[in-house]
Amino acid sequence: MLTWVIYDIVKDKPRTQVAKTCQRAGIMRVQYSVFLGDLNANEIDELGLKIKSLIDEETDRVYIFPMCKEDFSKVRLLGEAFDKKLVTNEIRELFL
Amino acid sequence: MPTLESDSVTITPSEVLEYLFCPRYIYFMNVLGISQQEAKRFKVVQGRQVHRQKQIRNRAYLRKKLGVVKREFEVYLSAPRYHLRGQVDEVLTLADGSLAPLDYKFAEWKNRLYAGYRMQLVLYGLLLRENYGKPVQRGFLVYTRSQNLVVPVDIATNDFEKAIDILAAILDISRTGFLPRRTPHKSRCVDCCYRNICV
Repeated sequence: MLTWVIYDIVKDKPRTQVAKTCQRAGIMRVQYSVFLGDLNANEIDELGLKIKSLIDEETDRVYIFPMCKEDFSKVRLLGEAFDKKLVTNEIRELFL
Repeated sequence: MPTLESDSVTITPSEVLEYLFCPRYIYFMNVLGISQQEAKRFKVVQGRQVHRQKQIRNRAYLRKKLGVVKREFEVYLSAPRYHLRGQVDEVLTLADGSLAPLDYKFAEWKNRLYAGYRMQLVLYGLLLRENYGKPVQRGFLVYTRSQNLVVPVDIATNDFEKAIDILAAILDISRTGFLPRRTPHKSRCVDCCYRNICV
């Protein structure tokens, strides 16, 4: 399922760790504090637990939004946006 | 790794959980000897930490609401008759003299009891029945990711019979090296660690 991970983390170190965790989970950085990619239910759960262990729950904010493909197709991109095909796995499937 | 002819094959309740998820787990683990590498998974590591913490905290606390009069921790038991062995998180003695296994789950309660979790409790119950010779009519699951919610589970006599049948099926795969059918639930394959080698 397509999942957005959006965060606002006060300290530099956990912020960098969260970004690396998201990258290792195989999702793409679409803005400085916004990641998006295709994850299954267990991967979403695991990523949530990993991020929870890194952040300070008193000061930091992290949003994990799963989103169905139908809704994603309605997303409007303005300006220097990312490549939608890359995020939805559509390109990867061509090589299979 | 157990040999195919070996009579010393023993099964743990966790293996039964894996068998119920997909029978091929047993084939890959016990026959081919390919490890799941589950210790590398973050959720497994976290779950083990929670278990360790539970061992230390609240040791003297008796769950009186559930009618518990005695608690034993981390009890390792075996039942050679069924080729079964395992460690019960807590053995509870209830006021009516019966015993009940209690198992901690690093999981959230999703308003339904999974067959695998239930069967694991039945197997722990079987171990208790064999070793203590006392009746086992219920068990408890603690969902540590839902504020330690305790879910009581009734265990009937025919549950034990079902468990023994499943143990026999697992033993059969381990001994004969027979490749079982994969689970009919395709959605389980998505997150399976053996998906790359399962044909």
